Amino acid sequence: MIKNFILSALLFTSTLSYGELFLEITKGSEDQFKVAMIPFEGNTRVSKQLNNIMRNDLIRTGEFSILDEELLLPVKIIDDELVYSDWKLLGMDYLVTGTIIKANNSLDINYEIFDVHKKRKVRSSKVFGIPNQIRQLAHYTSDGIYESITGIKGIAATRLLYVNEIKDLQLLSTYKLMLADSDGANEKTLLSSSEPIISPSWSPDGKRVAYVSFETGMAKVFIQEIASGRREAVLSKDTQISSPSWSPDGKYLSLTLYQDGNAEIYILRLRDRTLTRMTNQFAIDTESTWSPKGNKILFTSGRSGSPQIYELDLRKLNPKAKRVSFEGTYNAKASYLPNEEGIVFVHRTSDGLFHIALKYKRENFIRILTEAKMDESPSVAPNGNMVIYGIKEENQSMLAGFSLSGARFKLPASQGEVREPAWSDFLR
Amino acid sequence: MNQSINTLFALSLIIIISACSSVQITEEAVSDQSVAGVSITSKSTATQAVLANAVVYFDYDQSNLTAKSIQALKGVSDLMKRNQKITISIEGHADERGTREYNLALGQRRAESVASYLIANGVSRNRLITKSYGEERPLSLGSNDTAWSKNRRVEIK
Repeated sequence: MIKNFILSALLFTSTLSYGELFLEITKGSEDQFKVAMIPFEGNTRVSKQLNNIMRNDLIRTGEFSILDEELLLPVKIIDDELVYSDWKLLGMDYLVTGTIIKANNSLDINYEIFDVHKKRKVRSSKVFGIPNQIRQLAHYTSDGIYESITGIKGIAATRLLYVNEIKDLQLLSTYKLMLADSDGANEKTLLSSSEPIISPSWSPDGKRVAYVSFETGMAKVFIQEIASGRREAVLSKDTQISSPSWSPDGKYLSLTLYQDGNAEIYILRLRDRTLTRMTNQFAIDTESTWSPKGNKILFTSGRSGSPQIYELDLRKLNPKAKRVSFEGTYNAKASYLPNEEGIVFVHRTSDGLFHIALKYKRENFIRILTEAKMDESPSVAPNGNMVIYGIKEENQSMLAGFSLSGARFKLPASQGEVREPAWSDFLR
Repeated sequence: MNQSINTLFALSLIIIISACSSVQITEEAVSDQSVAGVSITSKSTATQAVLANAVVYFDYDQSNLTAKSIQALKGVSDLMKRNQKITISIEGHADERGTREYNLALGQRRAESVASYLIANGVSRNRLITKSYGEERPLSLGSNDTAWSKNRRVEIK
């Protein structure tokens, strides 16, 4: 996979603008599945829209090459059997067809996937919703296609959190906690404040978010329900509280508390708000994140004299922190890959640049995955195939992403600075 | 490709009608996505009279005081000894390099360095509030050494 990543050439460039973020797909990988997507039958306007969204969903994964619409052939069916030979000649691996059934109050999509090499239908699915859910219907369909072909769960129907800072003419900032679909569309404001907001984190069920707001004059962690907007401070303590991370079972938050004047990691049981202290060290301890199984946490500590990544095994009584990063003098904000095969983190190179890096457990070296100057806040997609992170280009902060198979994309904002993306878990 | 995995992800689908002759057949409804936004307009409580205003600066990645900053802090501790009623807020800041949470913690260490100096010079701990804004409130907006050196600071208010 990584070999492809390095070798990947500029295969296509396509841009599409939706809402506030601007999706720019800049690079694909080699060894892609070649797919012909026949525009779905039915309402032409809906079909066009679906086609655009789905194409981008699949191209963004880096694993698909979608046949240009002008090159499509008519689908021939003889004796109830699809004629595969035309598609084989075009070099296609799969063919996707579908129909749209639109009524006043419903919008249903039926789609079928055909394996050109094995000459048979591999999937027949129906997704149903209402007309204003067209984007979601498209993402569900993309995920169905992705899963059917790769055998891996798709992430088109997941969502992103991020922070947007907008300065007015007097340079006064408004900070917004934003929610959007995985392609940057369908953007919604969850919180708007005149004080900084940092460190957004998803609850595993995707219904609530935790974040740090400075609205009271110091850092405090809040939990907010997305649908109702209901929010509360997680602790009433008069101390700075920061860096929330939700346990995979949704029952705990790991946090950084500053009650001794120094950053230490605690685990908060949400049911009764009991706190358990996890670190006790003169140096900084912060940026805790849970392992996918919920039995370990990673965190950043300055105990060796520079920020490095450590791991705590929560199954042990009084666990000892084990250092897991060794290369360079700055490694921070780590998170696990979903299968725990490795960790993704921020690494400072010897020339002082910050990049996103990956270290596999089985390897004794790190892989630098990005190339700007100040790359930060990596967040791994729930299927482990993509990472979204923050970059700074010409003094403008925006989001960028890459797939481990080599695709790259950018999500610049039309307004202000965008940073600190957080990828949700699977939502379907 | 990957027929064997079909069964694995069929579990995640909402309704599975049938799965015969390895054609995967599924039906699912998209979920509801309502969102309610919240707006906070109230500014944080303003800090009190700026009798002890001072700014001290720090080296990259460091939280220890320099000779120059100790000079500035002497004035603050003298003032606090003369006016026993003053309490001060010590706000630590970091430049934009590095992660936000680590910078928040680094800003706090800088604030604590200043507090330790004042305590060592006879100021009572309960007259000091320390806090950090990390890299969230830069004084200077550029991405260069000059801007960064202005942003690695503690503000005393």
